[in-house]
Amino acid sequence: MSDPAPLTIDNPGQVASTAPPAPGRSRRLSDRGLAVAFISPAMLLLLAMSVFPLLWSLYLSFTDYSATRGGPANFIGFGNYTAILTSAQVHTRALTTLIYVIGAVGLQTVLGFGIAYLISRRTHGRGVLTTLFLVPMMLSPVVVGLFWRFMLDAQFGVVNSMLGSVGLGQVEWLTRQRTALISLIVVDTWQWTPFIMLIALAGLSAVPKYLYEAASIDRASEWFRFRTITLPLVWPLLLIAVMFRAIEAFRLFDLVYILTNGGPGVSTETLSFHIYKVAFLGFNTGTASAYGILMVLVVIVLTQFYLRYLNKLKEG
Amino acid sequence: MRYQRRIGRTSVPGRKVRLATAAMLLVATTVAACGDGQDDDAKASAPKAPATIPELTKDPLTLSFIWFDWPPAQALEAFANAEYKKERPNATIKVNTVPNANWHDAMFTQFAARKTDFDIAILDSQHIGEAVTNGNILDITDFVKNNIDVKAYNPYLLAAYGQFPQAETGKRDENASLYGLPLLGDTWTMIYRKDLIGDKPPQTWDQMISAAEKCQADNPGVSGLAFHQANGSDAAAVTYNTVNGIYGGNLWDAKTRKIEGVLNDAAGQEAMDVLVNKMKPLTAKGSGNWFIDEVNAAVAQGKACIAFNWIAASGGLLDPKQSTLGSTREQILDKLGFATLPSQKTNLVPLGGMGMHVSAYSPTANQAEALNFMKWFERADVQKKWAAAGGVPSRTDALESPEFLNAGPFNQVYTDSVPRMRDMWNVPEYARLVDIENTNVNAALNGAKKPKDALDDIAKEQQGVLDSSNRKGGGGL
Amino acid sequence: MAVSVDEAVSTGSARDHTPPARRLGGRGRSVLEVALLTVLAVVMLFPVLWMIETSIKENRDVYAIPAKFFDFTITLDHYKDVFVAPDGGRSALSVSFLNSVVVAGVSTVLATVLGVPAAWAYSRFAVKAKKDQLFFILSTRFMPPVVVVIPIFLMYRQVGLIDNKLGLILIYAAFNVPFTIWMMKGFVDEVPAEYEDAAMLDGYTRLQAFRRFTLPLLVPGIAATAVFALIFSWNEFVFATFLTSSDSVRTAPPAIAGLIGGTTTDWGLVAASSVVFALPVLVFAYLVRKHLIAGVTLGAVRR
Repeated sequence: MSDPAPLTIDNPGQVASTAPPAPGRSRRLSDRGLAVAFISPAMLLLLAMSVFPLLWSLYLSFTDYSATRGGPANFIGFGNYTAILTSAQVHTRALTTLIYVIGAVGLQTVLGFGIAYLISRRTHGRGVLTTLFLVPMMLSPVVVGLFWRFMLDAQFGVVNSMLGSVGLGQVEWLTRQRTALISLIVVDTWQWTPFIMLIALAGLSAVPKYLYEAASIDRASEWFRFRTITLPLVWPLLLIAVMFRAIEAFRLFDLVYILTNGGPGVSTETLSFHIYKVAFLGFNTGTASAYGILMVLVVIVLTQFYLRYLNKLKEG
Repeated sequence: MRYQRRIGRTSVPGRKVRLATAAMLLVATTVAACGDGQDDDAKASAPKAPATIPELTKDPLTLSFIWFDWPPAQALEAFANAEYKKERPNATIKVNTVPNANWHDAMFTQFAARKTDFDIAILDSQHIGEAVTNGNILDITDFVKNNIDVKAYNPYLLAAYGQFPQAETGKRDENASLYGLPLLGDTWTMIYRKDLIGDKPPQTWDQMISAAEKCQADNPGVSGLAFHQANGSDAAAVTYNTVNGIYGGNLWDAKTRKIEGVLNDAAGQEAMDVLVNKMKPLTAKGSGNWFIDEVNAAVAQGKACIAFNWIAASGGLLDPKQSTLGSTREQILDKLGFATLPSQKTNLVPLGGMGMHVSAYSPTANQAEALNFMKWFERADVQKKWAAAGGVPSRTDALESPEFLNAGPFNQVYTDSVPRMRDMWNVPEYARLVDIENTNVNAALNGAKKPKDALDDIAKEQQGVLDSSNRKGGGGL
Repeated sequence: MAVSVDEAVSTGSARDHTPPARRLGGRGRSVLEVALLTVLAVVMLFPVLWMIETSIKENRDVYAIPAKFFDFTITLDHYKDVFVAPDGGRSALSVSFLNSVVVAGVSTVLATVLGVPAAWAYSRFAVKAKKDQLFFILSTRFMPPVVVVIPIFLMYRQVGLIDNKLGLILIYAAFNVPFTIWMMKGFVDEVPAEYEDAAMLDGYTRLQAFRRFTLPLLVPGIAATAVFALIFSWNEFVFATFLTSSDSVRTAPPAIAGLIGGTTTDWGLVAASSVVFALPVLVFAYLVRKHLIAGVTLGAVRR
């Protein structure tokens, strides 16, 4: 991050033509000044609401400060960081988060791409279909979480009721270690498959027709066309969607909070959920800050990858 | 081009000034922040409330409470506005409610902010230690001495909702400080289906289990038991603590601050075994995340033979609109019985309910009003009216009054349970301790951990929390 | 690379180059695909339909086993309960909806006012280290809310913004500004800089050129961007839960979440309030359907 500094003007020739200082020109803002005036309010808000809090967090992460106990913030060096990185509790949550991210994003990608592929082959009703598929993505995680909790209830939930009517037994969706994590993945997949679908659909529509025409003259098999034309052309865009989802999934909190509250035991606690407990149950602000900073580092690295890739895509 | 560069240069100072201003703002805020940190050092314990109630304001005043969202909260607001207004026409009572899951966080984040939108916090008995140690609530020892007739109460009730450091179970330490007064008493009641297991409630825990077993076998679709198993709030923890008490276990040794080896001794292991291997198999499938409302729903839907729930949360069971057990209150009461908990090695029951605690950050006029309200609320006649309005009073005379005993079928259960109560730890580390216990008991109940491992983990982790005060870093993990 | 979502969504650009009928027994396969799509659509939409159905059922039908799909009595009581308290006054839920409107609305306006000019500046001028700045801006948007809420909480308690609508407005604006900048930069890039250049040749200052010639062209883009910012603020849960505590400040998401976990849970009410809560979002999302891809990827993908 850096201050807005030396500017060059897009079109020097044109600048020259407006250059003669008119009498009123002192009232005019220069391009530079304009850029600063336009960018700095937004930057100031971000500095105040994002950077400053994070720097504060960074400072607290080296202390044993507690927001409720008050008392001095004693400097304890990297104590919090070593404790977090060596804690078996944290490793468990990291593993849970990893399984969740891979499971959910993987499933969404396969399903989302599949649906997009099927839709792209339709001539009629594409608009309606796409719009209908997009509904889950627009809902608040609170609504999604509450409602799935209701539907997955083992006793009176509609899912078990339907399983029962086809002769299958009750499944404890939210209270068994495996099924609870699977339920979390399923619900997230339900909500975010449309996201991947939307982007994949854009990619599929952009594949030039002449490539297919050439392939069909060569009598190439459908699978061959899919593998050699469709997939390579859609893949870059799909990857953007996947990375984007991965970053979002890594931060998951609200769905866990509502659907399973981390249970059974702590088996569906994600990293975000664990930070919440450290920060607001014991008010171990120092530890929670260090924990948060570590998560932020991961996010920054992921974002960096994401943007690099995005730039490459734009240039290529 | 040259011209443009000139512009560039002239605007440099402007930019620097802006940056400097921004930097100064940041520094100023940081200094303010650190300065506050130092302020905190000074006050290590709770500020004292005046011994006598200061002069009350004549201006309109809103006295705010914070509680979680459940029927007693609405009952309190209605009751206080109807009755307290007679004494103090200029005062309005507002009971702010938050979801049960947020209750602790909502109060303590405001305490942490040193600014509360409530004057009276309705703290769970176990929250007292945290609030006192942080200086969040007023020390009302002198106020109680001058204004409250302490002999009118079972001493343990007075201690449980107000005393810190914590009293021994069943007693009160008269030299200890008081920080709150009882608002709503509560304990678990056993709810049993008279039409399925008979009119007479089981007397021992073993009998209770076999009655549930038989009832479940005789009535397909009805499960033997329903109780709290969730990993949020204090749900699963209270369940284990109750069984632990009944089987003669102890949660800790308060004097030596030992949990390891105390909680997971033979009695503790037996209690965990009974809970997971004898009681859990009698519950409905998927009941592993049940708390108050799910247990109530199971009873109201006729799906449980024997259930355990907080008395204060049981009123809805008698509402025909929510029940499939009958179309009138009488019909429902023909089927539902309410009894004190069965005993086994001991007859201990869990102490529930909450006290009133005055926020240290509330304006002086409101604090004075709060003290006046508390004095009024603990009057004998008001306690009886509170009982008649659906509340659970704490004064012995009110507990034994017909107003209370006739107000609900479970009220006799409460009065009988008062001498049998035991509470959890009310140390400042309570929130962490209860979370450890909740998650591990919940894991054991849902097969995510072996019962013995879960209990040993609870003991080890809780001990770690109590001992962690001198650790360098990573507190709270 | 310039394919709009509109094109992807519209029926016009369907790929008629590979009539599926030509290969593999044609018609049968097409039927299979349609069937598969139908099944998938039903699975995706079922929870929404079930939510709507639950919201108009009486409570004893809500808990019925086996579940009742068609034969139940329709009631609108739950919708009444969303807005009207049992005593006839305004319900706490309806207050929270109103709070949501204020918080989401004001934060969106703030983010738009701050973000649009910045986006224009980033698009038009060669700002030093532009890429780094933009990266920094985007990464603030990706911060885990649970992490940010800790220092924000400490900061707010210094300045008295806890349990205050302004506090929520500021943090939502801070999360929406990066989005607005990224999204709007794309829209500004699409407006040729030559328009402004020509205006300046006519004697307008650059600011005037922006205001009179570029800004009007940006209005649809601004509207779309604002709608996405609005949806984010409307749906947000974490900050709303941890930074508010009283009924008069609480927004709808924590208020709806608070409907469960009392002594009884009224699932009909939960469903009705969810429907009321989701409806505006769906309407708005429909209005900006052309910009959905850009909207959901923070403007990163626009084709």
